[in-house]
Amino acid sequence: MRKTIVPGGVMLLLSLVISIGSVTFLGPCVHDDGSVGACWWAGRALLGLGCLLAVISALVLLSPRARFGAYLSGLAVCALGALTPGTLIALCRMSSMRCRAVMQPAMILLFAAAGLTSLTGALLCAKEERKGKE
Amino acid sequence: MKLIADNISKTFFRDTASSNYFYAVSPLSLELSPGTVTVLMGRSGSGKTTLLNLLSGLLEPTEGKVFLDDTDLYSLNDGELSRLRNEKIGVIPQARSVVDTLTVMENILLPAALYGKPEAAEEVRQWMDTFEIAHLAGAMPRELSGGELRRVAIIRAIVQHPVFLFADEPTGDLDDENTEKVLSALRACAHEQHMAVLIVTHENDAVKYADRLLKMEKGQLSPKTN
Amino acid sequence: MKMLPLSVKNLTRKPGRTAALTLLTAFLALSVFGGSVVVLSLRAGLQSLEARLGADIILVPSEAQSKVSFQNMFLQGTTGAFYMDSSVQEKAMEVPGVEKVAPQTFLASLKADCCSIKIQVIGIDPARDFTVQPWIARSLTGELGDMDVAVGCKVEAEIGEIIRIYEQRCKVVARLEATGTGLDTAVYCNMNTMNTLLAAAEAKGISHKIASGDDSVISAVYVKVKDGVDIDRVNSALTGHLRKVTAVRTRSMITGVSDSLAGISRTVTVMIVVIWVLALIILLLVYLMIVRERAREFAVLRLVGASRSMLSRMALLESALCGLTGGIAGVALAAIGIFSFSALIESSLGLPYLTPAFSTMLALAAGAVLLSAAVSALASAFAARRLSRVNPGTALREGN
Repeated sequence: MRKTIVPGGVMLLLSLVISIGSVTFLGPCVHDDGSVGACWWAGRALLGLGCLLAVISALVLLSPRARFGAYLSGLAVCALGALTPGTLIALCRMSSMRCRAVMQPAMILLFAAAGLTSLTGALLCAKEERKGKE
Repeated sequence: MKLIADNISKTFFRDTASSNYFYAVSPLSLELSPGTVTVLMGRSGSGKTTLLNLLSGLLEPTEGKVFLDDTDLYSLNDGELSRLRNEKIGVIPQARSVVDTLTVMENILLPAALYGKPEAAEEVRQWMDTFEIAHLAGAMPRELSGGELRRVAIIRAIVQHPVFLFADEPTGDLDDENTEKVLSALRACAHEQHMAVLIVTHENDAVKYADRLLKMEKGQLSPKTN
Repeated sequence: MKMLPLSVKNLTRKPGRTAALTLLTAFLALSVFGGSVVVLSLRAGLQSLEARLGADIILVPSEAQSKVSFQNMFLQGTTGAFYMDSSVQEKAMEVPGVEKVAPQTFLASLKADCCSIKIQVIGIDPARDFTVQPWIARSLTGELGDMDVAVGCKVEAEIGEIIRIYEQRCKVVARLEATGTGLDTAVYCNMNTMNTLLAAAEAKGISHKIASGDDSVISAVYVKVKDGVDIDRVNSALTGHLRKVTAVRTRSMITGVSDSLAGISRTVTVMIVVIWVLALIILLLVYLMIVRERAREFAVLRLVGASRSMLSRMALLESALCGLTGGIAGVALAAIGIFSFSALIESSLGLPYLTPAFSTMLALAAGAVLLSAAVSALASAFAARRLSRVNPGTALREGN
């Protein structure tokens, strides 16, 4: 059983990095005049998705019955998260801007890592269930 | 084919800084012929294991030679000696002797796998049935008890089909029933498969399986009289 | 004997040990590949800068903030706008040794709707320009017409799109190849378009008029010196001949960048050497520790007839496989990091940065992987020799 929990712990860690990062060191561009661009909203969306992923991770850790489903949900959230910056929500047009140079690659990599972790967790749960039936 | 030990001895230095050495095996000669079971008994530290290692090509004697037919074992280079041991000599050591990263079946088939020989999987299964470890074929060594591991080492040596089979305390971890099975199997190897079997043991029960009894005391070999 | 299956089993069934060794070699490959890519990218950027500058001397108004600021326009794409009378071009041609001149005019936008920051607009005379025009010509067939713009590769605007600069509608007709310099963040137009934009800027309260009140302004003049003529002599002559104008030797800009590059290159090399020495020592120690742990295993193999050369081969194969796997993982991680964050790396370094060609990267990657595998095998050589010489009689003694 411990094996199926470990990916959940990793997911929780990654989701916290995503959530905190999206409003701090991995966040979007800051405008001098106080206005916000599309990338700011992308950052907010990533914050939301990060928090959602954290809740799903908590579910994985706390509820053995919901574990498999939670991993699958996590996978879907990660796919959404990876597509958010730049594909679903536009970013600044200059590739040297912070949203493109830092936020976009970092968030894609973090969600990809979390997605792989979810997939691993789901596969481990499925394997354990097959063993249990045998 | 005969194994002849000609006036072999083995000395070890107690203290490398001085010339203070002792004879683990005093100069002796011995002949092993196929089709016979030789049982060697003696107290702890009498040199039995050292003698076994000298005869099986694992330890070069300080003096004397070991001949397998006309071949001086220790004149061969490492590759030739290793191949010869794989083909002609089987050893069941006293200590645990399995590779931890291989399954039980893989451990048993290891000698054949080393030189790309055909694997006698069916024969292996029969022996595993005999020794009641057939259900452990896919298990890893860490899952087995000491007695089970010993039976693995015994089967590995037997299915090598050696000409000379050396067993050092083969029944050490075994209960009475398995002890009898092992000793019977070793006798069958000698009488039916024409191997020369040398058993080093403390077990008095082994005496009834012997064609020849020997005693070792303080590195010296003599026939055992009772 | 096929040692490969046995080696693979030894590696896969001891995941902790294998992971530790693989991680070490991954670190080696990551440092070599990552460091080499950064250094090569900087060198490619420098070569690109040299090609883009094109001219021997650049004339700018003395009021231009500083040479460093002007240099940063090329290196980092910081915006700048300074002006002088357009007659500077003709006066420059009067100086002996000058082969040709070409003007450019700079304007910093408030912000175009493509970007939330200022962008640099550069006006050129397509008929006379010999620095930017050849580069534009590679991406644009035909001329740069009125109200047409060519954008640098870092400006995210599609061909055919209309962008607004000072409320003026400009059509994107070309996206230019990467140069790795600050020029990648600029927008290029002809002089007519620039004059329209200058007028629009004027209407927004951003004055470009110089003290004389003359409307005909330029920002810089690129000067090509005749072959065989001493550039420093021409530079001095231009400085003496032209009032309120500074002559900048492009060689000095490039030398400055080149010195910075050499410094970074040295630092990266030292870091790689330190990492490799440390990792090699750790690998050697780990393999020596493994000797103790695996003596019994190798004794069993000797017992059943494995020769010393078989065992050496097996040990070396295992370490080479670890090295190969670690090498591939290290290169992959470095590649993901460098390419994902290339914009960040570029802006942090503040130097021209141009990623090398794919074939070069592939060769670097292959080299890093093979080097890791070789070093891993070398580090295990001593341990392999010791293990192959283990005596089964001693190693398998009860209690050992």
